Amino acid sequence: MANIPVTTHAPETQLHPKSRRVDIGRIVIYIVLVFGGLLAIIPFLFSISVSLMNLTEATGGALLPSTPQWSNYIDAWNEASFGLYFWNSIKLALITVSGQVIFSTAAAYAFARIEFPGKNFLFALLLSTLILPEAVTWVPNFITVIWLDRITPFKWFNNWPALTIPFMSSAFSILLLRQFFQQIPEELWDSAQIDGAGHLRYLIRVVMPLSRAALVTIVLFNFIGSWNALAWPILVTQTPDWRPISYGLLSFLDEAGSLAHLRMAGAVITILPLILVYFFTQKEFTEGIATTGLKG
Amino acid sequence: MATQSATGPETAVNQRTLSIFTGRRGRTLKEVVLAYVLITPAFLIIFTFGIFPLAFSVYQSTLRGLNKIVGTYDGLGNYTKAIGNLAYVLGFWMAVIFLFLAVNALIKQTHVTKKYEERPWLFTIPGIVLAVGTALFVRFVYIILPEVLGISESLRAAKQAGSEETTAVLFKGFLAEIWQKPDIQRPFWTAVIIFLIAFALIYIFLRLLPRSPRNSSYIATFFQSTLLIIGALFLGWFTLTEVQAAYTAAAESGETLEIWTQTITISAGLVLLLLSWFIWRSANHQDSTAGTFIRLGAGSLLIIGAWVLIGELPAAALSGDDDWYLGLLNTVYYSVGSIPIQFAVSLMLATFLFQDIKGKSFFRMIFFLPYITPAVGAAASFRILFSGRVDAPINRIITAFGFEPLAWLNGSTGIFQMIAGDGVTLPTWAAGPSLSLVVIILFGVWTFIGFNTVILLAGLGAIPHELYEAASIDGGNRWSQFRHITLPLLSPTIYFLTLWAVIGTFKAFNHIYVLRTGAALGTADTASIVIFDAMKRDTRYGYAAALAVLLLIIVMGLTVINNRIASKRVFYG
Repeated sequence: MANIPVTTHAPETQLHPKSRRVDIGRIVIYIVLVFGGLLAIIPFLFSISVSLMNLTEATGGALLPSTPQWSNYIDAWNEASFGLYFWNSIKLALITVSGQVIFSTAAAYAFARIEFPGKNFLFALLLSTLILPEAVTWVPNFITVIWLDRITPFKWFNNWPALTIPFMSSAFSILLLRQFFQQIPEELWDSAQIDGAGHLRYLIRVVMPLSRAALVTIVLFNFIGSWNALAWPILVTQTPDWRPISYGLLSFLDEAGSLAHLRMAGAVITILPLILVYFFTQKEFTEGIATTGLKG
Repeated sequence: MATQSATGPETAVNQRTLSIFTGRRGRTLKEVVLAYVLITPAFLIIFTFGIFPLAFSVYQSTLRGLNKIVGTYDGLGNYTKAIGNLAYVLGFWMAVIFLFLAVNALIKQTHVTKKYEERPWLFTIPGIVLAVGTALFVRFVYIILPEVLGISESLRAAKQAGSEETTAVLFKGFLAEIWQKPDIQRPFWTAVIIFLIAFALIYIFLRLLPRSPRNSSYIATFFQSTLLIIGALFLGWFTLTEVQAAYTAAAESGETLEIWTQTITISAGLVLLLLSWFIWRSANHQDSTAGTFIRLGAGSLLIIGAWVLIGELPAAALSGDDDWYLGLLNTVYYSVGSIPIQFAVSLMLATFLFQDIKGKSFFRMIFFLPYITPAVGAAASFRILFSGRVDAPINRIITAFGFEPLAWLNGSTGIFQMIAGDGVTLPTWAAGPSLSLVVIILFGVWTFIGFNTVILLAGLGAIPHELYEAASIDGGNRWSQFRHITLPLLSPTIYFLTLWAVIGTFKAFNHIYVLRTGAALGTADTASIVIFDAMKRDTRYGYAAALAVLLLIIVMGLTVINNRIASKRVFYG
């Protein structure tokens, strides 16, 4: 809005060529954006297309199916125990995410609003885990899980605790939430105190509703994390009982071998839920991610 | 704590004044307890599965054995298997870095003490005692760790022998048995007593010496420096004994070793490089002629140092693990190949999206899709798209343009080698990434462009619009606006993203694991894949842990370098 005066001061004669140049620039921008968008979604379109072909089309390298074979999805679903993997991943994601929301929110609130001795030290310790490559934790955590499996009364290995408990809190979530909590104006805390609310009530009634975007981001990030988990499930599961979907798909890819249409149907089955979740939460999610990135 | 309540609005403070004197201490204590209650669950998890594994990895990396939780002690054996005699050089240099960090912290503190004219040097006593206590406690943890790990074995043995007791009872029994061993008791109580003395000393010295808000940070610095020095001494001693053991073993079998000459030559090369860097920097303070001469001197030192290193490093690293070297090389290719493209494209897309265009949020959503797609699912379709078969989609596209079909995911030849043709044989390091790795790089770029675009877009939105107006009044064109306003103000975001991207390429696992093929002959395996194979396929836990520690050292080094560059080039506010 504010730059309108500048353009109106420009001489009349220049107005015409300038606006034409801008138009060409805009067309270029649109072409680049559309082209980029196509590149981003072509692998999806390709997967969907192949997943609807029959065997000869899929192996013959056709581009589009002659008649969509919806039965491929049923075949893939039955061939591999996708139903089980699906349900496993949803259960694992729910357990991890609820742990994350409770534990990380609590810790983030303490770091954002309360002064306590050792705060800086613990916070630095937390930050240092951010650069830790996952590979460093494989050996020690595997051994820890085996050990816990043997000494505690309930099973860890090849069971849900090994797949969820290590991920029930993370430095990333705590940092993101703390960032949001700190932006909440101090006055709210003062008025909450006058109303007789303590820290816990203030956290649940005021802080958490105000940090919707951050919480959605955390939920989605951890959901994606659970859905994508591959290395760790390969290490700590032996049977399909608790095998999550990414690992399930990977074993199906090897089993299905040359049946490209079934492999793609399996891939689409795996991808679709996350895309749906993303569509419903994308506004908060983009906001949450953008805030993290900006603050570093 | 006093400052905290003072920052609140006046009215709130006034209402509280009456109760402050009676309840303040109690309330602060209550808050502290609450804070610890709130962070405890999160820290228990993060500590057990995120911080402790670091120490545990270091411990495991000194053990050898197949599919053994507690293997046999092997010293630096796993490291020499991975990187040859370079392991010894690395050991000594890590000790030097520890010493440097300790001295650096002390020097920084001297500046502070001078500024405020304080004399906190007596705090060295509690600082040192506390550090010694911590070191003794770490020693205790390393002593008790194998014993505690062994419980699981004895528990299983007891169950197999038909023990009727429950797991909990058995566990308590074994734990008590370990606990009563004098080898455990002595180190534990020494550590505890030293700790108690340290806390008493801290209390006494804080009372005795003049009060200052910086006192606790002084103690922290002395503590940290002493701990680093103890670590450096231990690491130096450990490496030294390992070198001597290697020489003794070699003397028995009649071989000759060159560890010392290699260590000294490589260290000399590194010292020359560091010297040249310092001299180059000091040239900035000189006038032009002197500066040129100094720079010339620095340059020649650099060349000599680099020449020494190039001559000696391969010889020292020769006996290392070729798979590991290939993994590191592939990781470097993956970083260098994906990050610049990723940034160029996403910066372009972000600036385009930032214009006043229709369907902005639609495009943003589309670009972001690859990032949230499950990697295994997307990689499955890449596996078909980039299959090496002649009738695979990508091969059909390139043959339509008149090119030969390529092996893509099955390709193991480096791309520079392919460009050079069969007539020339390039050395391994110059052959470039294999076609298989190129597809993996493309996958990485495809995934991360959207993520970078969204964050850069948010960064662009944070730049005040007035700056652009001022620039357009001054007659700056689009490019100079971009160069002088957008880039500098975007630099913190770009810095964050590059750090994230570099660490990300070292962490990358899922899509590489899915996209790698047997035909690629390991040319697509990055460092984390090599580590995974060592652990899952070979069940060499100690070796995998050693590789992971090496990877961590590399990532930490890169983070430090990135920070150094950022502190000069990044413009905050």
